[in-house]
Amino acid sequence: MTILLALHAVLGLAAIAAGDRLGRRALWLGALGPIAAVGWLLGVLPGVLDDRPVDEVVRWVPALDLDLQLRLDGFAALMVVLVSGIGVLVFVYAGRYLSPTGPGVARLVGLLTLFSGSMFGLVVADNLIALYGFWELTSITSFLLIGNGHRDARARAAALQALLVTGAGGLAMLGGFIVLGQAAGTYRLSALLADPPEAGAAVTTALVLILLGAFTKSAQYPFNAWLPGAMVAPTPVSAYLHSATMVKAGVYLIARLAPAFAEVGLWRPLVVTVGVVTMLGGGLRALRQTDLKLLLAMGTVSQLGLMVAVFGWGTPTAITAGCVLLLGHAFFKAGAFMVVGALDHQHGTRDLRALPRPTRGWGPVAATAVVSAASMAGVPLVMGFIGKEAALAAIAESAGGGAVVALIGITLGSALTAGYSARFAFGALGRLARPDAAAECAASSLGPPALALALPGALLAAASVVLGVLPALEDRLIGAAATALDRAVEPVHLALWHGFELPLLLSAIALLGGAALHRGRRTVDPVLALGHTPASSAGLYGLALRGLNATADRVTGIAQPGSLPIYLGVIATTAAVIPGGMLLTGASWPGWPDLVETPVHVPVAALVLGAALAASVVRRRFTAALYLGLVGYAMAGLFVVQGAPDLALTQVAIETLTTVLFVLVLRRLPDRFEHRTPPWRRAIRLSVAGAVGATVFFLALATGAEDPPTPTSDAMVERAYPDGEGRNVVNVVLVDFRGFDTLGEITVLTAGAIGTVALARAGRRPHRGDGEPLVPEAEHPVPAVPLSRIATLDISVKVVFTAVMVGSLYLLFAGHNQPGGGFAGGIVAGAAIALRYVSGGIDEVRRLSRSQPWTVLGSGVLIAATTALVPLLLGGAVLESGSVTLHPPLLGDVKLTSALAFDVGVYLVVVGLALMVFESFGDDPPPRSDPITTAKGES
Amino acid sequence: MSVLMAATAAILFALGTYLLLQRKLSRIIIGIGLLGHGANVLFVNAGRRGRAPLIGSADPDTFADPMPQALVLTAIVISFGVTALLLALAYRSWVLTEDDEVADDVEDRSVAKEGFADSELEDEAALVADLESSTEDDEPAPIQREVGEGVAP
Amino acid sequence: MRLLLPLPVLLPLGAAALSILVGRSRRWQRIISITTLTTVVGLAVAILVETDRDGIVATQAGGWPAPLGISLVADRFSAIMLVIAALMMLAVVVFAIGQPGAERNHVGFQSVYLVLAAGVNASFLTGDMFNLFVAIEMMLTASYVLITLGGRLDQVRSGMTYVVISLVASVLFLAALAFTYTATGTMNMAVLSSAIADLPEGLQGGLAGLFLVVFGIKAGLFPLYFWLPDSYPTAPSPVTAIFAGLLTKVGVYAIIRTQTLLFPGVLPTWLVMAVAGATMVVGVFGAIAQDDVKRILSFHIVSQIGYMIMGFGVATVTGLAGAIFYMVHHIVVKTALFLSGGLIEHAGGSSRLSKLGDMVRSAPAIAVVFLIPALSLAGMPPFSGFVAKLALLDAAAGVGQWAIFGAAVLTSLLTLFSMSKIGVGVFWSPATEAAEHAVAAPDAARSRLGAPAMMYVPTALLATAALAIGVFAGPLLDLSERAATDLVHVEPYVAAVLGDDAPATTSAPEGGGR
Repeated sequence: MTILLALHAVLGLAAIAAGDRLGRRALWLGALGPIAAVGWLLGVLPGVLDDRPVDEVVRWVPALDLDLQLRLDGFAALMVVLVSGIGVLVFVYAGRYLSPTGPGVARLVGLLTLFSGSMFGLVVADNLIALYGFWELTSITSFLLIGNGHRDARARAAALQALLVTGAGGLAMLGGFIVLGQAAGTYRLSALLADPPEAGAAVTTALVLILLGAFTKSAQYPFNAWLPGAMVAPTPVSAYLHSATMVKAGVYLIARLAPAFAEVGLWRPLVVTVGVVTMLGGGLRALRQTDLKLLLAMGTVSQLGLMVAVFGWGTPTAITAGCVLLLGHAFFKAGAFMVVGALDHQHGTRDLRALPRPTRGWGPVAATAVVSAASMAGVPLVMGFIGKEAALAAIAESAGGGAVVALIGITLGSALTAGYSARFAFGALGRLARPDAAAECAASSLGPPALALALPGALLAAASVVLGVLPALEDRLIGAAATALDRAVEPVHLALWHGFELPLLLSAIALLGGAALHRGRRTVDPVLALGHTPASSAGLYGLALRGLNATADRVTGIAQPGSLPIYLGVIATTAAVIPGGMLLTGASWPGWPDLVETPVHVPVAALVLGAALAASVVRRRFTAALYLGLVGYAMAGLFVVQGAPDLALTQVAIETLTTVLFVLVLRRLPDRFEHRTPPWRRAIRLSVAGAVGATVFFLALATGAEDPPTPTSDAMVERAYPDGEGRNVVNVVLVDFRGFDTLGEITVLTAGAIGTVALARAGRRPHRGDGEPLVPEAEHPVPAVPLSRIATLDISVKVVFTAVMVGSLYLLFAGHNQPGGGFAGGIVAGAAIALRYVSGGIDEVRRLSRSQPWTVLGSGVLIAATTALVPLLLGGAVLESGSVTLHPPLLGDVKLTSALAFDVGVYLVVVGLALMVFESFGDDPPPRSDPITTAKGES
Repeated sequence: MSVLMAATAAILFALGTYLLLQRKLSRIIIGIGLLGHGANVLFVNAGRRGRAPLIGSADPDTFADPMPQALVLTAIVISFGVTALLLALAYRSWVLTEDDEVADDVEDRSVAKEGFADSELEDEAALVADLESSTEDDEPAPIQREVGEGVAP
Repeated sequence: MRLLLPLPVLLPLGAAALSILVGRSRRWQRIISITTLTTVVGLAVAILVETDRDGIVATQAGGWPAPLGISLVADRFSAIMLVIAALMMLAVVVFAIGQPGAERNHVGFQSVYLVLAAGVNASFLTGDMFNLFVAIEMMLTASYVLITLGGRLDQVRSGMTYVVISLVASVLFLAALAFTYTATGTMNMAVLSSAIADLPEGLQGGLAGLFLVVFGIKAGLFPLYFWLPDSYPTAPSPVTAIFAGLLTKVGVYAIIRTQTLLFPGVLPTWLVMAVAGATMVVGVFGAIAQDDVKRILSFHIVSQIGYMIMGFGVATVTGLAGAIFYMVHHIVVKTALFLSGGLIEHAGGSSRLSKLGDMVRSAPAIAVVFLIPALSLAGMPPFSGFVAKLALLDAAAGVGQWAIFGAAVLTSLLTLFSMSKIGVGVFWSPATEAAEHAVAAPDAARSRLGAPAMMYVPTALLATAALAIGVFAGPLLDLSERAATDLVHVEPYVAAVLGDDAPATTSAPEGGGR
């Protein structure tokens, strides 16, 4: 079986891949799949009929009990007869129906093969989840088949509707499967049915969910609308998927589960009601169709309803009857579709108002039409009769009001069926056409169909007759199928004549009713027209679709307003509420710590807060920026108090640099923030801010109350000098203990620098094909010296600059032992560069470094990364530090640690960053309306 | 951690948040700056206070906890790098719009206002129209070959 | 092997530096990137094999005994992430080189991209909270640069949103770290896992909540996800692809890592499940409302994150295994989808459904590489997404979390709907002028693949990978379960980092180490 599945897949994909090159030959390729399946089936059939199922298992995801467990038992065999047997005929038929070379033929055929494979898998799957898998595969292939004529809006819509409706049901079903599997402890179908989980809320829910899947797939009310829509697909597709096989998947599932669960909870009332309603509704709609194909589609809905009801009844005899119906329906409905296809293909219409009467050569088709209709209507001597008899008998034998209602319903339904069967037969034979239209049609007709269009249908019709006259021929197959479903089934003996009993009477009533309906159709038609509109659930689906889109728009409109302040507001609130809430729920108040740790804190904190407050209220950008700088310097003060000189140093330098940056950028921006915020908005802001503040405050107190030991830091202090070869513990931590952080940090700087330049430079000049360089080449014309510059100032600046640079180098080299280090050094150097900038503008800065800024940057990172890597090569740990002592003349001993090299890397990165920053913002604003601002981007 | 320090951090966070909820990028940047300072206040109060941890300068037991210092230093430098980038954004925004206002997202607004047309709805309408059944007395459907792709003419 | 651990971080860093130095030579930059990232793939696979065979591997940066230095740790979870991330990085860089635009547009691209790679790998490998902060900063800063490449107006706008929100997250992260250090006096995760357990309940909750919010912003959880759908679509396709694949997943990784290792069982399940459910549903509704392929896919990221959190919320081994497997599937499929989105944009001249159409005719090859990941994302069998979803549903049902179960099923239906919207709109519905014109445009490659091979091949490979994940779901899920077991039982992790004197005595081991 696995091999067969694989074969179908390969053939199908091959056909699709080969594309139109293959043309009609694709059909023979694709047909190999079902042919092989039939051949195999014939091989194993004897065993299966003797109740020896074929089992196969392919492991897939054992952890989820999701394996490809395949099992061909009697019922599966019956289904395979439909799937692959009719499949072969459909391929033959399609071979004539589809144009030999038309575009997309190969794709159509490939999809048909894939579908055939999925359907085969569905009926042999013995694992609920695997069954769901094949189930969805049939949905997908059906989607692609219906939509294959994708230029037609109706095709797209029908495809989507089919996919969504069956997909929704499928997902509900999956849910049901999981719940059922959890209850039963296995997903294996045979095992689960052999010993079903005891009834309970879980099982009932599961069953309802599963039935949802079955109903949608088998187009039961109120999910029936997708099936008529699917008729936009080419007729072979309709004949195969939407009458003979796929739509029977739901029936198949119900048949599998009914024997075990018919008595559980809602099952019987629910299933039988839905089935009967569907049978009636479908029949009523079929009676009004003028398009023969739609008529058949509605008829299929109706018949599926009957099968659902009968199988859902779940008694052994009902199960048997269901099997007979299943087989019979597949034969006559596929045959009938092929008739319509032939008519449509030759006459170019399938409207019973225009179809001419059959001429010479139409014989086989006409015969097929008549036989199929008879079987559909349940006329004696044809297969359909046997099934209907059996069904009526099965329900009649079980007592109870339910049975009576069901019998009445089914009889009425059968009457309708007989009615539209007559309509179909007469319509197909051109007895309902208007002479003028018929004549016109006959004139443009292509004449009688080719053999390949007539033969498959004829064969099916013949089978219907043979099995109708000698039903005993199918005893073994039906028997095996029914037994596979329900052990309690007695040996089946189908017979044409049961004697005068209730079923016969009901059949007679149905047939006569049907005849009457057809005779008096003009009188009943208005009546049907009344009941028509509500019977359609297409509107339902449309409603759902619209509703869904509208809801999505509304939800998204609210949840995604697109405004940053709102985003930040929500985020801040969440950040305050969740941790705050969690803290409150479980916290025990630690009590207030001492108000002030050291008096020095008071002025520092006052300064910090004062400046911060000022920064947040002032109206001028500049002033705000300066106040922010002030906060920074105050923070430096705090760092000193906390005993962190390195921090203070770095903070001061960075604050300076940041402020300069701010000024550089802000000088472009309008000076004032104009304020037009309504008070309520300000109130919201304040409350959010307050919440955040409160959370921080209490978390701070709660954590502060812990005061844990800090063995790590102690160990660092302990080992900084002996092992880290540095007296400045903080610096040792930075470049050695936690050098890995520092490495990442300079990377951040590097990336930041690149981005800054990229943004500042974006669109400075039109794009060349090869894009724009990171930093403009030296092609800048050196502008005239600014008037403002005075030689002496210039010189003094140079002097100061040199001094500061020397200082920065000192910080770098001394850093390991005194406050300082790579960052401090580098940033001080940056400040020095700022000085040059202030005095001489960007060109002054450019003169500083012969090498491009990004070279400095890159080499910095490279050095750092290398010092990190080298120890690895020497077999040490990453970043492991070592040292060499040199004895150069004059200088005495100089101890070089690898940490120093690392620090040099850091230094270079920071300097490079500073240079690049001035590159980006230092020079004059770009011309407005340069290409990139207007040109939509490249990607 | 003393109440004063906790309060300082808290207020810095509050002010920062307040500034965040505005439209001007330069304000937002200042807000983020304040938030950052708040975090640093928390950090430098995390460990024990004391003298600068310089070996030999004093008794190691009186040293301040060096680890948080190192962490803060890293954090400061990182936030500097990112702030530079953010300023560049403000700058770019000015180049493009002569302002640093953070505008609303256009697509989001259009979804919120009228939403986008959903083609599947039009298709569906076409299908429904087609399925409306007619009586025998209406004009028969015009003769036309099935238009499904790959169907013989 | 321990020596190999730092390399996935260091190699990209060094390569980035080189890439900066070779400056304008585009050819060398590409050679550097591709060789480096290929090597990283090899390393990652080696690490995965090692960890899966011998369990958790740890090494100490600087050779200092933990918790003195920074610990680098690889357990199965991080190793899996490492491998997937490396593969995506490689595939996307090839795509980027092939695509006219993004990469050619800026010499900084390759170096910044490598920094991104380093950051991502570092966040998977680090065993130190503060270092995690640094790693994520590396990643984010690089992402800021990449997302604004080109500096278009819409990019600047969304870039502001993205950068500002990420920065706020970073500051909150910093505060959280400060609190953690104040309360425990360490940053080493292994030590923390025992140190935090000693804290009062409320404090644990507060910290856990704060970290959830911090990483939730990065992961794109409801109601913190706003930045994602606004910013991702504006970047060049390859950039969006790599962001979609990896960045949010780093957030998810961090959530799972910290919550399982530091705060096991602290967060109330209802909270996590509520977040997960809301994220799923709101995300997918957002997707349905959009008209732009990239935006639709971006909203799907959000929705899918919900599934991962659901798995985490179930908190059983099966749940976590489901989450891990889902992450693997999602990273591959999402990247593939965004790349095929890039192909669509390239061949169709737009990324809006209303402008595109009929591409099944004009570019059938693209239809294929879109269909596979799309069906997989929608959880259609037999693709990877189906198994992933099933694993999560199974786990949720196992612990009777029916509400989230229902939400997940509903969401996958809506996902199917939204995916079919793309499919119908792009490939079936009649083409508009825009598309016609784009198709008509002369392009040698378009005739067969619909795009340059350098763009198509990586996409196709990822689609194949998505298929493979489905086919080999069995062994992969087993691996995920082993990884999940590592997460549930923290002792081996602690032991591997601190040496065998676990549970962690916070005293630093004397001597030794160097």
